Amino acid sequence: MTAPGRRAVIAGAATSDYPYLPEHSEHAVHGQAADRALADAGLTLADVDGLATAGFFPMYAVGVAEYLGLQPTYLDETNTGGSSFEVLVEHAAHAVEAGAAEVVLVTYGSIQLSQMGRRLGTGGGGGGGIMPGPAVHDALWGNTLVGNYAMAARRHMHEFGTTPEQLAAVAVTMREHAGHNPQAQYRDPITVDDVLGSRLVADPLHKLDCCVISDGGGACIVTTEERARDLRRPPVYVLGASHASTHHLNLSAMGPLTTTAAALSGPRAFARAGVTPADVDVAQIYDSFTITVVLTVEDLGFCAKGEGGAFVEDGGLGLGGRLPTNTDGGGLSSCHPGMRGMFLIVEAVRQLRGECGRMQVPEARVAVAHGTGGVLSTGATLVLGREVP
Amino acid sequence: MTARWFPDEMPMPAASAETAGWWQAAADHRLVVQRCLACGATRHPPGPVCPRCRSADAELAVLPGTGTVYTFTVVHQAFIPSLGDRVPYVVAAVDLDGAGGARLVTNLVDVAPEEVRIGMPVTVAWEDMGPELALPRFRPVQEPR
Repeated sequence: MTAPGRRAVIAGAATSDYPYLPEHSEHAVHGQAADRALADAGLTLADVDGLATAGFFPMYAVGVAEYLGLQPTYLDETNTGGSSFEVLVEHAAHAVEAGAAEVVLVTYGSIQLSQMGRRLGTGGGGGGGIMPGPAVHDALWGNTLVGNYAMAARRHMHEFGTTPEQLAAVAVTMREHAGHNPQAQYRDPITVDDVLGSRLVADPLHKLDCCVISDGGGACIVTTEERARDLRRPPVYVLGASHASTHHLNLSAMGPLTTTAAALSGPRAFARAGVTPADVDVAQIYDSFTITVVLTVEDLGFCAKGEGGAFVEDGGLGLGGRLPTNTDGGGLSSCHPGMRGMFLIVEAVRQLRGECGRMQVPEARVAVAHGTGGVLSTGATLVLGREVP
Repeated sequence: MTARWFPDEMPMPAASAETAGWWQAAADHRLVVQRCLACGATRHPPGPVCPRCRSADAELAVLPGTGTVYTFTVVHQAFIPSLGDRVPYVVAAVDLDGAGGARLVTNLVDVAPEEVRIGMPVTVAWEDMGPELALPRFRPVQEPR
């Protein structure tokens, strides 16, 4: 049982500038996001005793600590791909509730677009040479990152009759949302026909079924309810959290491709929060590809397995729809710098604080942020709330 | 020597202690799967211990070389530049017959991409990449007319 007053909250949250930051280093994006999240909370770096971040080389958090001038006594750099930041917030919540840390800065920065260009979405890596490690078992066939999700999409269509039009509906709704976000990478409205008419990347996924590639970052502050009491912003409670991995890095080692780690993390997170999917007012769901959202709404229990296609069509994910989702425009239209999970958290916090303007879900009290990493390899669910139910 | 299905610039697998036997069998045109000698569970890719019972005792069981398409994609945009001329090509996940549920990600060859279907029966089509390396791609089983 958490000690009185030590219940974990998010006391500040912010994104960096995005989606194109050619003048920034990766660390500079971290710095901008951290400064903004701290200012949002009414804190400074001097108040921070914990640092949590994820990147793609070892001792990543140590490097970020050096750049920020921090001497953290709590460090976490768990990397589960796109779900990393949901996991890092879960860990930070445990840490502050246990008294191992007081104020944890969770930060993300990436200049993927400026650094690597737009080809990364098909799978990374150059040509030639010897390919070490287990991933060779998937990659030597010319498979791509998109190809893995395409194979999941194909199987879902086969088992449940999901249609390309239903998948496209996810992209259409995300673009509609992005139209209200001045920072979004792509804002012009698109139709289902536009999605289906865009070039195939890995059949059945078209270019517009795939997330954008961006620069950007974000940060949030995890602390205790007591510490947040005299801070600037209303606290957002971390009501429940859980994460899971269903298989190895190889798609060949995954069981059914139509059920993801969200089926493990979701029910556990909801149970810990003491709420059900029906209590959720707004969702921020990792949308690396349109199929990712369809699989996730099923696995989190917003609809039955196989009904995700019908759930997302006809504006099901829009304001006033079955489950208002990715109100910033998501990774499909707004910003996807590689590991988008932090953006899900920031947008969920903004919704719960009522700051989303035209995209505000009225009276939003419970929000879900769910990250997906790897090739449907990991899932992490955060259930956030304006108050404790 | 016949022309290769993929260009020479493709990455080649580097065998590890766990996978060397699998690749050696492939070089001999034998499709195998690692099977735990303690509990009988199969696994792919090959690994050091059984994920189910933790036994390190395993054999490489020879498979008939047939299977069923579990799912597939037609790749239209490759990430290796030299594959740019090879698209579209088919990447499939094949459920291997006799493999206890083990699945192989591979290519389907000798079939037009638009004719590939989930559930399609397929059989191995070996491609020799060199004296010590062969890749198990798959082609549709010819339907009796």
